[in-house]
Amino acid sequence: MRSIARRGADGFRRRWRWCVRGVVLWLLLGTLLPAAPRAPLGEPQTVETDHPLVCLHTRLIEEVDEWKIQRSLQLAREMGADTIVEFFPWAYVENDEDQYNWSNVDRIVAHARNQGIHIIARMGLVPAWARPDTDDEFSTLNTLPEESYPDFAEFVADFAGRYAGVIDHLIIWNEPNLAFEWGYRQVDPEGYVRLLQAVYDAAHAANPNVVILAAPLAPTLEPPGSAAGLNDLLYLEAIYEAGGAAYFDGLAMHTYGFTEPAAAPASETALNFRRAEMLRQVMERYGDAETPVFITETGWNDNPRWTKAVTPSQRIAYTLDAFEIAELEWDWMEKLCLWVFRYPAPTFNYPDNFTLVTTDFQLKPIYYAVQTYARGFTTDESLWLPPPGDQ
Amino acid sequence: MAASPWRSVILTLIVAAAVWLWALVGALYAIRWSAVPRPLPPVRVLFPYGEMRVGVDASYPPFAVATADDMFGLEIDLARALAADIGVPVRFVNLGFDGLYDALRTDQVDVLISALIVDPSRGDAVAYSQPYFNAGQVLVSSEGSPVHEMADLPDHRLAVEFGSQGQTEAERWLRRLLPFTVLPYELPEYALDAARLGEAEAALVENVAARLYLRQHPAWQPTITEVTVVPFAIATRANRPDRAAVIDAALESLMLDGSLEALIRRYL
Repeated sequence: MRSIARRGADGFRRRWRWCVRGVVLWLLLGTLLPAAPRAPLGEPQTVETDHPLVCLHTRLIEEVDEWKIQRSLQLAREMGADTIVEFFPWAYVENDEDQYNWSNVDRIVAHARNQGIHIIARMGLVPAWARPDTDDEFSTLNTLPEESYPDFAEFVADFAGRYAGVIDHLIIWNEPNLAFEWGYRQVDPEGYVRLLQAVYDAAHAANPNVVILAAPLAPTLEPPGSAAGLNDLLYLEAIYEAGGAAYFDGLAMHTYGFTEPAAAPASETALNFRRAEMLRQVMERYGDAETPVFITETGWNDNPRWTKAVTPSQRIAYTLDAFEIAELEWDWMEKLCLWVFRYPAPTFNYPDNFTLVTTDFQLKPIYYAVQTYARGFTTDESLWLPPPGDQ
Repeated sequence: MAASPWRSVILTLIVAAAVWLWALVGALYAIRWSAVPRPLPPVRVLFPYGEMRVGVDASYPPFAVATADDMFGLEIDLARALAADIGVPVRFVNLGFDGLYDALRTDQVDVLISALIVDPSRGDAVAYSQPYFNAGQVLVSSEGSPVHEMADLPDHRLAVEFGSQGQTEAERWLRRLLPFTVLPYELPEYALDAARLGEAEAALVENVAARLYLRQHPAWQPTITEVTVVPFAIATRANRPDRAAVIDAALESLMLDGSLEALIRRYL
C-alpha cells in the first residue's frame, strides 16, 4: 500500500514539474510577442483655435482599437476643432433590453475630455428587441415603431443623465425625411414630432441642462408622396405645423455644397451650402428665430467621377469659404461640422472622398488647409503647380 | 504476459492506414462532387419577380448615369448583357450609395452593379462576383522614360493630382524608397500632361482617368503599370448562392468571348 501511495505521489510531482515548465515556457514565449497598443490618458489638453465654429463629425464608435480613437481626437485637437459630432447607436449600448453596455461610449468620452473636445451626440439605430417582429413586418435598423418610443426615450434619458455636464447636446434621430432613415416607411413628420415629445421631458428630467436638437434633415427636393422621402423645407414646415417647436432646444442641419461653390445663392430648388438659409427662413416664419442652429454635417466630396463631386482643389477652397460665410453672415449658427473626419474602415466608394484623414491616418491636404485656417497659421506656398507648359 | 513489441506497431499501422484511406476517399469524393456541375434552378426560381432587379447608384459616370427618363453607362450595358446571357428581363432601381446594400439585404433588388469594391467585411451577407474592372492607380510613363514601375522612382519626378489617392500612394512610397520628387497638379489631366511632355518621368493616376486621357491623346503610347488594385464586382445576397453562381457564369462568358473588354472600351 505504501509503495502504491509513493508511486502516486511521484506521478503527481512529475506532472506538477511539467506544469511549472509549461508555465515558464508560456511566459518566455509571451515576452517575444509585441505588446498590445495602449492608449493611456495623458495630461489634459486644450484646443487652440481662432475659429471656434470649426467642428468635425467623427466615426469613432465602431473603432475596435482604443489608440485609434485617441489618435483621431488628438488630430482633431491639433486641427483646431473643439467640438465633434459622434453617433452613439442605441442598438450598440442596449443590445438586450435593460442590459446596458456603456464601455465604448465611456472610452470615447474619456479621450475627448482628455483632448479638451466637446461632444454633440447623435442618437438612433434601433436594437432588434425594439423593432417589429421581422417575420410579420419588414424592418431595418432604422425602424422605430411608435410603441417603442418610450423605450427609446428611456435610453436617451439614461444617456443624458449618465453624461450630464459632459455631453449636453443630443441629436434625436437622423434625416427622418428620408425613407431609408425612417425604416423604408413613408416619412412622417407628425410621427417624428411624437418621437421628440416622448424624448424631450425624459431627457430634461435626467439632465436639466440638456440641449435637445431636432434631427437634421437630408437636403432633398423629393415631392410629397415620394417613396424616397420629402423635401427638407416641407418637412420642417410640417414639424412646426405639428407643434414640434415645443420639443427641441436647437435645430441640427445638414447642408452640402455638392458641385456648387459655398457662395452659390440659396433657392427653394437648389441643393447647395446656402440651403441652410432656406431652412432658417422656415424657422423665422414660425417665430422660432431664437432657436440656435448646429450644422452637424457639411462639406464637399472630391471623388474623381461622382457627379456630385468637385476637384480636391475646389473642395478646399469651397470649404474655407463656407467657414467664412458662416462666421460673417450666420450669427444664428453655433457650429459648422465637416462630414467626415475619418472612417474606421474604407467604404470602397465615393464616401471615402469626404474624409479629411484616411483610414490609415494619412492626413489629406484638406486637413492641413482647415488646420491652417482654424489655427490662424499663414502660408504663401501654393498647393499645386501650374499646368504643364503654362510657366 | 509481456505484450509482443510488434503488436503496438501493427496496431499503429492499421490505424494510420485507416485514417489515410478515409482521407483519400473523402478527398476523391469532394473532387468528384465539385467536378460534377449541379443543375441550377430555372430562371423563374432564381429571379422570382420575373426580372433581374439591378440596384445601381446612377451618379457615377462613365459607369452609370441617370437622365430624366433613362440610364446609361458601362454598368448599365453590363447588366443588360448579363441579363441577356441569363435569359431574363432587366429592371434598374436607382438608389443612393448609402442604401445599396440595405436594398440588397431587404430583397428590393436581386443584384448590385454599382462600382462596388469588394469589401471583405460584408462576406457574411454579400457574395461578390469575380472583378469586372480594376479602378486602382496606374503608373503612366512615356516609352523612353526611365520609370516604368514604382521602384524606378528614386531621383526622378512623379506627377500626381493634388489631394488624390495617387498623391497619398506616392507619399506612402516615399517612405519606402530613396527620395523622389512628387509634383502635385490641380487635375489628373495636368499630371498626365506632365508625363507626356517630359516635365515628369511618370504620372500616378486612377486607371479611369488614365484611360479617358488616352482616348483624347491616341498618338501617345505610354507604358501603363498597375500599382494598386481596386476591384469592381457584382454583389448578390450570400444566402442566394445559385443566383451568385449564375451571375458569375454569365460574367465569365462575357469575359471569355471578349464582350466585357469591348464594353469597357466603349466607355474607357
